[in-house]
Amino acid sequence: MAVPDSFLHLARPLGPATVGSQPTTTPLKVVVQPQALFSILDHTLRRHPEQERVIGTLLGVRSEDGTEVEIRNCYAVPHTETQEQVEVDMDYQKQMQALHLRANPREVLIGWYATSSKLDTFSALIQNFYGQQGDGTYPHPAVHLTVSTNPGEDIEIRSYISAPIGVTPERSEDSCLFLPVPYELKYGEAEKSGLELISLAKDREDRSQATLTDVESLEKSIVQVLDLLDRVSNYVNNVLDEEATPSQAVGQYLLNALSLAPKVDPANIERDFNNHIQDVLVIAYLANTIRTQIDLSNRLATAALTAAATEGIGGPGGESGGHQKGGQDGRRGGRGRGQNRRTEE
Amino acid sequence: MARPRTDAPPMRDSPLRAVQVEALAVMKIIKHSSQQHPTIATGALVGLDVNGVLQITNCFTFPTVNAPADGQQDSASSLATAAPRAKANTGYQNEMIRLFKEVNVDANNAGWYMSTTMGNFISQNTIENQFFYQKEINEKTVALVHDVGRSSQGALSLKAFRLSSTFMTAYREGKFTVESLQKSNLRYQDILVELPVTIHNSHLITSLLHQLPAPVPTEELSIPPTLDALQANAPAGPLAPNFAALDLSIDPFLEKTSDLLLESIETHHTELNNHQYYQRSLAREQSKITAWQAKRKAENAARVAAKQAPLPEDEWQRLFKLPVEPSRLEIMVNSRQIEQYARQVDGFAAGASAKMFAVRGNLIPEADNRD
Repeated sequence: MAVPDSFLHLARPLGPATVGSQPTTTPLKVVVQPQALFSILDHTLRRHPEQERVIGTLLGVRSEDGTEVEIRNCYAVPHTETQEQVEVDMDYQKQMQALHLRANPREVLIGWYATSSKLDTFSALIQNFYGQQGDGTYPHPAVHLTVSTNPGEDIEIRSYISAPIGVTPERSEDSCLFLPVPYELKYGEAEKSGLELISLAKDREDRSQATLTDVESLEKSIVQVLDLLDRVSNYVNNVLDEEATPSQAVGQYLLNALSLAPKVDPANIERDFNNHIQDVLVIAYLANTIRTQIDLSNRLATAALTAAATEGIGGPGGESGGHQKGGQDGRRGGRGRGQNRRTEE
Repeated sequence: MARPRTDAPPMRDSPLRAVQVEALAVMKIIKHSSQQHPTIATGALVGLDVNGVLQITNCFTFPTVNAPADGQQDSASSLATAAPRAKANTGYQNEMIRLFKEVNVDANNAGWYMSTTMGNFISQNTIENQFFYQKEINEKTVALVHDVGRSSQGALSLKAFRLSSTFMTAYREGKFTVESLQKSNLRYQDILVELPVTIHNSHLITSLLHQLPAPVPTEELSIPPTLDALQANAPAGPLAPNFAALDLSIDPFLEKTSDLLLESIETHHTELNNHQYYQRSLAREQSKITAWQAKRKAENAARVAAKQAPLPEDEWQRLFKLPVEPSRLEIMVNSRQIEQYARQVDGFAAGASAKMFAVRGNLIPEADNRD
């Protein structure tokens, strides 16, 4: 990320301070999932050219005590902004939210995003709308995520919650105090493979990348590991040649890592290796045998009749069926046994 | 555009050459699939067709179907698989696309996606869905299949499929008898056409990715003062490559695939039995007819000899009813599924054996000298 903001975070009451029913106190931790961020960026690209920023709704899950929110999903909401007024399509927001909730009943309204870093009166107005009682996130604070998308600059992400401010009710409607809260970009184990492929495309001119096969991704990983190993051994050699400064910490770390290498009897390894490689090869062999058999079976079923078409439908067809069946049975028996042995191991 | 690489032969008559998926759609599909796992997740794709390349730019999930309380995972899965062509979802889909249109998202139905594990996705349901899409909604639609199980082992497994035009014709007629198959020359390999999939990023995402902790830093790093400091400040792993591909667990995959293969063979066996039963009853009926015809002939000969008018000889068509030939569709679909498994095992075996030799070479260095 761009330079992460550092700020001191203090717990403080939020919301109208009605004594007795304190809504929620900060601090709040915001977790952003990549697909939400991607969706925001996509929305930026699809805005009308005259629009300076676009906004949308954030959906996600909130931890039970409300101190941690995870932004999982979001959608664009059309709005128009002029010097004097801002107009958000509330109907659209409600409809879209209803549709999203039907597909993901567990996700709740978290807040909203805007694709520019600036905070102004309109932001406050919209923020108050999202945080209001009823349709809004009340009693939890609405989260506001800003993603700056100026071309040529780093993408800057900031997250805020707000506290009401203003002396009169009229004033407090279009003003609020935005409090920065820390956020974190997090992705799950399952998304790793997707992100990997996506990030492979980032250094390419055409910004695209074909899906990889198993062997290709294995190759990539191995090359990478070899590079890393080279680098480490280079460093170690340099230390030995007294060219690089030795470090006790690195040495200890390497020693720890090396001691993880299991010490096993070569005979055991040999045996395990042979067992496993046989497993792999047998399954591969069997799978291909089955494929051939199935192919044959299909061909026989349709082709045997062509040759015998003149002899009437009944006889030869039945016979060819019988043949296939026999072949099937024999093979099935054999395979079944092989399979059982395999799984027992 | 990268060179297309597919398992299935390229189809000349297909209106689409390739599928290009935006990063956003990829991430959404992955998220939905892993959330629903092990139940099957389905959703709709939107995008545009540009000169034969279908660009999938966004997607949305179908509403979760509430399985009956007593229903197990199976029924939930089958409901989810049927979702793309369910009536209620068509409305949902249209509504969603209408709303998408207001925010300038490509409001054009581009197909549907589903999640699967271990390549177990070719079923009548899948085919019916895709048929529904290709016939009812838009000729240029695809089915994207995301394999959750395989993706967790390293490379993302995302495949795009369409039904071939020959299969479409046959399916429309609903005839899968031996005779019709001979005529159309339709083989099970031709049911689905696989299209090459590429991932595409927008400029902004490229920019974002360059900010994320990407490759291992190449410059000289400062030396950590203590071991604790080193462990505490462990650098974040890069997005690519991800070392899950180096995982050595082989057995679970093999076991699962073998199970699935056995299951498919079982199905194949049942279907063959059905056909055999049909053949037998057909033969029986046929022999009855022949006997009847011979009898009638003899009778007629007797009648002619007795100077009586012969009885009609084609009455057997009314008297006997030939059994209906069972459809070969199930067999074909199943065969295609088996083929999918076999290819998958091939791909896996290639990687697994390489990894195993590497491990052996690593653990017994003397093995190299001996060989």
